[in-house]
Amino acid sequence: MSVQMIHPKPAPKLRLKGVSKQFVAPRTGQRTLAVADFDLDVQPGEFICIVGPSGCGKSTMLNMIAGLEKSSSGTIEMDGKAISTPGADRGVMFQDYALFPWKTVRDNVGFGLRHGTAGAGMSAADQEDRINHFVEMVGLKGAENKFPHQLSGGMRQRVALARLLANGPDVLLMDEPLGALDAQTRLVLQVELLRIWGETSAKADRKTVIFITHGIDEAVFLADRVVVMSSHPGRVSAVLDVDIPRPRTEEVRLDPRFAELSEEIWSLIRDEAYRAIA
Amino acid sequence: MSMNVNVRATGGIPNWAKALTLPIILLVIWQAWAMTLPETSPAPAPLKVVQSFAELTASGELIWATIQSLGRVLAGFAIAMVAGLSLGVLMGSSRIVRENLDPIVESFRPIAPMAILPIAILWFGTGTPAALTIVAYAAFFPLLINTIHGVSRVDRQLIRAAQTMGLSRLRTVLVVIVPAAIPSVLLGSRLAMGVAWTAIIAAELAVGAKSGGGTSGGVGQMMFVFYAYSIDLNGIVVCMIVVGVIALLIDRLFRLVEHKLLPWRN
Amino acid sequence: MPATLPGKSPAMTVMPEDAPAVETARPNAATAPGRRISIAGVARGVWRARWFISLRAFATFICLWALLAAWVSSPLQLPSPAKVFDAMVGLAAKGELLSQTLISASRLGVALMVATVIAVPLGFAMALNRELNTYLDPIVELLRPISGIAWIPLGLFIFGVGGTLPVFIMAYVAFFPLLLNTIDGVREIDRKLLAASRTMGITRRAQMVHVMVPAALPSVMVGFRIAFASAWAAIIAAELIGSPSGLGFSIEWYRQLLMSPKVFSFIVLIGVVGYLSDVVLRTVQRKLTPWADGMGIDQ
Repeated sequence: MSVQMIHPKPAPKLRLKGVSKQFVAPRTGQRTLAVADFDLDVQPGEFICIVGPSGCGKSTMLNMIAGLEKSSSGTIEMDGKAISTPGADRGVMFQDYALFPWKTVRDNVGFGLRHGTAGAGMSAADQEDRINHFVEMVGLKGAENKFPHQLSGGMRQRVALARLLANGPDVLLMDEPLGALDAQTRLVLQVELLRIWGETSAKADRKTVIFITHGIDEAVFLADRVVVMSSHPGRVSAVLDVDIPRPRTEEVRLDPRFAELSEEIWSLIRDEAYRAIA
Repeated sequence: MSMNVNVRATGGIPNWAKALTLPIILLVIWQAWAMTLPETSPAPAPLKVVQSFAELTASGELIWATIQSLGRVLAGFAIAMVAGLSLGVLMGSSRIVRENLDPIVESFRPIAPMAILPIAILWFGTGTPAALTIVAYAAFFPLLINTIHGVSRVDRQLIRAAQTMGLSRLRTVLVVIVPAAIPSVLLGSRLAMGVAWTAIIAAELAVGAKSGGGTSGGVGQMMFVFYAYSIDLNGIVVCMIVVGVIALLIDRLFRLVEHKLLPWRN
Repeated sequence: MPATLPGKSPAMTVMPEDAPAVETARPNAATAPGRRISIAGVARGVWRARWFISLRAFATFICLWALLAAWVSSPLQLPSPAKVFDAMVGLAAKGELLSQTLISASRLGVALMVATVIAVPLGFAMALNRELNTYLDPIVELLRPISGIAWIPLGLFIFGVGGTLPVFIMAYVAFFPLLLNTIDGVREIDRKLLAASRTMGITRRAQMVHVMVPAALPSVMVGFRIAFASAWAAIIAAELIGSPSGLGFSIEWYRQLLMSPKVFSFIVLIGVVGYLSDVVLRTVQRKLTPWADGMGIDQ
């Protein structure tokens, strides 16, 4: 008889309970239920991917967690406290990067430090060091003084990531960050993303990530758990554990378990996806 | 994604009422101020302006002056259109022509229409021909620029399609390029009419001033007479309002034509 | 495609699209292999150069002008280029070209400053505050169709003949493009940029200064260029009718004296100053807002 060590489960980093969102059209007053009864617990250091058909409310969910939108009902809590406004503790990476076109790479990365709350109390020198660290980490050393319009899509992507990380948020919220890139760049950046996230470090050192994507294989490749949403209204249809071990290399895509999980997710979404283009 | 101003009535007062608030308040203040002045003061007042408007309309002076001015605008616009469109098509379709004529055109563009007035007066004396010259000059540039723009930006695929069907270069220009450039030409026409109207008022004002009143007629000249001779400030204000109203009408009319002919443009 | 294997130290991963663009040198006849510069090559290069084409166009224009002047043979109405050139030199020597230009330019400067100081903040306020916009917009739309020229008679009554009238007219004319383009610029600010700054915990004031103003700047610059061109056109009319000095006054003054070459000289000057100013403004626009390509009139 083995003695079972009972490890107390750590408190969830994010807790969403019964979250719903109703939109009211300004002129007509028409109401649309975008999200209904969304329940999810996210553990600290977890990488969660949310997939679902177009229009299922994934981005709305993310905006609510970010505090950019208010929920119509239900609670969203981080570390036990309710969320209502945006803040630097939950960093967001937008699909079209949202880089400030008039600022260089360095100034973009340092924006949150200089003008936001993340750099409070930090000396200018420390801020500089921090900026340099993250610029180098995403592989953009040498391009610090370029402007966004001089960079390729992949490079802009990495600036957005560096900016996100430089602000040191506890939770990273990513809304289809790789969506605007070509397929090849996307594959490479997925591996990069995991590396930067700290796949090789201990779970306690990793940041919590919520990652929205259309790509099922992307979700399976990146996530610890995949949340599958259905649409009209958006709600959790299933949560799958991705039990493929880390660190995940490209060979993972050839793993039979990878195909199984992808197929399982697709079967949940398939009908809606076909209906969407009818 | 843009930040569209969502115009919606908040808390009861309808938007149209809010829109009228400031103008009405200003009018009331203006009238009150005018009433504090002695009866003989020439200062314009809203009520006197209305009275003047009624008088001028009844006597037909206002309508006649407006027709005169508009007539000149149309005549000048027609001249500008012939010159601007033909040169525009030429410059738009031939890179060589454009490169060689562009420096000349670009040098004249910063020379305001009114700067040409003294030359026009030297040539034609103070009268309608001088005013027409200014209007035509003013309307020429927007028409030219927009026609060049429209002709040169015709979708290359359309031109290639015509060429693969064996059309000659001239025929391609007439049958493919010109129709495809119509949206730009319409835009140029709207802009040209706008500046033409401003130009005729300015020209009539200046010609009126130089010819000592003169008989050239038109709204601009009427304004000058009210300024220099009858000292009728209320009449001047009536003219100013007419200038504004006509400008608005011209603009709306052209936009309507654009909208009807090109329903796919927002 | 190299992918960093886990375990390796984070190194720079070279993306395919990040490879520095290699400018392929176009084979030029002038620099043929062997590094011999042929005269024919240089000549061809000059022939195609933009400045040469402009020069050639002007030279042709002046020749045609001279021919026309000789044929019309009416020195009052169409003086020959030579006479105009003489007059210009004379005026320049007396310093008159410069003094009149400075007078007009300083009026323009004052007018633009006044217009900018009022229109740009007002534009921001109107774009950000719906109530304010609802109340003020009607006044703006009522006054806008009344061109600056139409204000000249009334303006003459209020200000009399002198320097103030042109400044007033120009400020009025410049006000509307500045206001409208500022409002437009603020309204068109990418919402994502504002959202991104909010997620970094920025204060409203900092957001205004560090996000909104730069984001609206390209539109404001375009508005400024339009305002400048409109004001430069308006000053001629205003000075022609109601001012005892300036470039507009000069062309009318010399016309009355029937000194055509001088009239033409000043007209040329007006064109030159207008052209140079636009070049300067375009450069300023490019330097201030390098990211906003493909915007603005004539770029």
